[in-house]
Amino acid sequence: MDFLVSSFAAALQLIGSFSPDVVDAVRTSLSVSAGATVFAALFGIPVGLAVGLTNSRLKGFVVTALNTLMAAPTVVVGLLVYGFLSRQGPLGALGLLFTPTAIVIGGTLLASPIVANYTLAAVHGADPRILPTALTLGAGRFRAAATLVGEIRFGVFAAVIAGFGRVVAEVGVAMMLGGNIRGYTRTMTTAIALETSKGEFSFGMALGIVLMTVALLVNLFLSLLQRR
Amino acid sequence: MTELYRLRSVTKRYGSIVAVDIDALMIDSGRLYTLTGANGAGKSTLLGILAFLTPPTTGEIFYAGERIDWKGDIAARRRRKVTLLHQSPYLFVGTVFRNVAYGLKARGITGDASHRAVTRALETVGLERFRDRDARELSGGEAQRVAMARALALDPEVLLLDEPLANIDRETASLLEAVIASLPSLGTTVVMTTHDPDHPARLNGGSIVLEGGKVAVSRASLPA
Repeated sequence: MDFLVSSFAAALQLIGSFSPDVVDAVRTSLSVSAGATVFAALFGIPVGLAVGLTNSRLKGFVVTALNTLMAAPTVVVGLLVYGFLSRQGPLGALGLLFTPTAIVIGGTLLASPIVANYTLAAVHGADPRILPTALTLGAGRFRAAATLVGEIRFGVFAAVIAGFGRVVAEVGVAMMLGGNIRGYTRTMTTAIALETSKGEFSFGMALGIVLMTVALLVNLFLSLLQRR
Repeated sequence: MTELYRLRSVTKRYGSIVAVDIDALMIDSGRLYTLTGANGAGKSTLLGILAFLTPPTTGEIFYAGERIDWKGDIAARRRRKVTLLHQSPYLFVGTVFRNVAYGLKARGITGDASHRAVTRALETVGLERFRDRDARELSGGEAQRVAMARALALDPEVLLLDEPLANIDRETASLLEAVIASLPSLGTTVVMTTHDPDHPARLNGGSIVLEGGKVAVSRASLPA
């Protein structure tokens, strides 16, 4: 028990002293997660809307595919993107492997199915009068869809937040595609894994506290939006 | 009076259920029609078709002499001339003003022109002081009046009303009925579903009666 308490105290000291290693890992984590979330939202929201608003025969297949992709192990996604970005891969010439961009690409693939699925659920739960009302008032298809997004915005926000949560908390993609390079691609989760394996438990705990604080702040932000 | 709608052999099926099966129906412009029939007679489905929101399964619809092409942009273009007001209207998140201005904005009408149209429409339904109120905090009768103002602001060629006077207090119903009765004199064609047996005579309009999706009676005006 003493070990945990002393580690916790040391972790708080590391956070309070703005340890450069902690700050770098937090900054990298937040920036790549934010980037991946933006791209995932740009892709996932329209996909969720399109699937939710159509009655195509392919709808069931697409929904099953999205559900499967939601559960995809991060190391599998990392492996797939690694294959594309490695020197021998089709995109190897771009030199993206072991860069923050590679983590953003992997994170986008991880978060997009989540954003799409949550958006789809929000569309299915929307008031069925929204679209006919918008259309009969003269809105075109795009304006009507934008109106729908506005009316179900809390569901869409939740989709985006869930996507962010998936990316910021994962370790497989960041490790495989980022390479855990100190001060460059080392994220909170990869740093926790590495430092703990080296016996630096208090350092890992410091990052764990920051990670949980980020999760708390994101959820508080969502709650605040829902109250407005 | 000129012919506005012509329906020919129009059916609408939902699986094995035939909601509407109309051999022929004509609706003149600038008139008021009551659309009556039992629950499930196809009234709301017919309104959806007339609003160009629900494509028929079979048949042809002509509007102002033009055959409606449901796959092309004609239906979307014509939809801007016709406004459907539901029995339980949906109000968008935001203020009463935002709701009433919605259709105007969709038509590219903003600024002073929009403000004038919104104000005029709200005055017509007696809600001019409600313009900055949150639309979600209105009572049922007030919401119905806002929805009516939202439709009137567009000055539509056709106003389709799905039981607009049901589930609201008598005072609001009288106000809305007077507004509806005045519309044909302004050139607006009105088709209104109702269960009130007195409405056809009181509104002195034409009458369409549906039975099992078929037109049982269609009169351009009530017999003297």
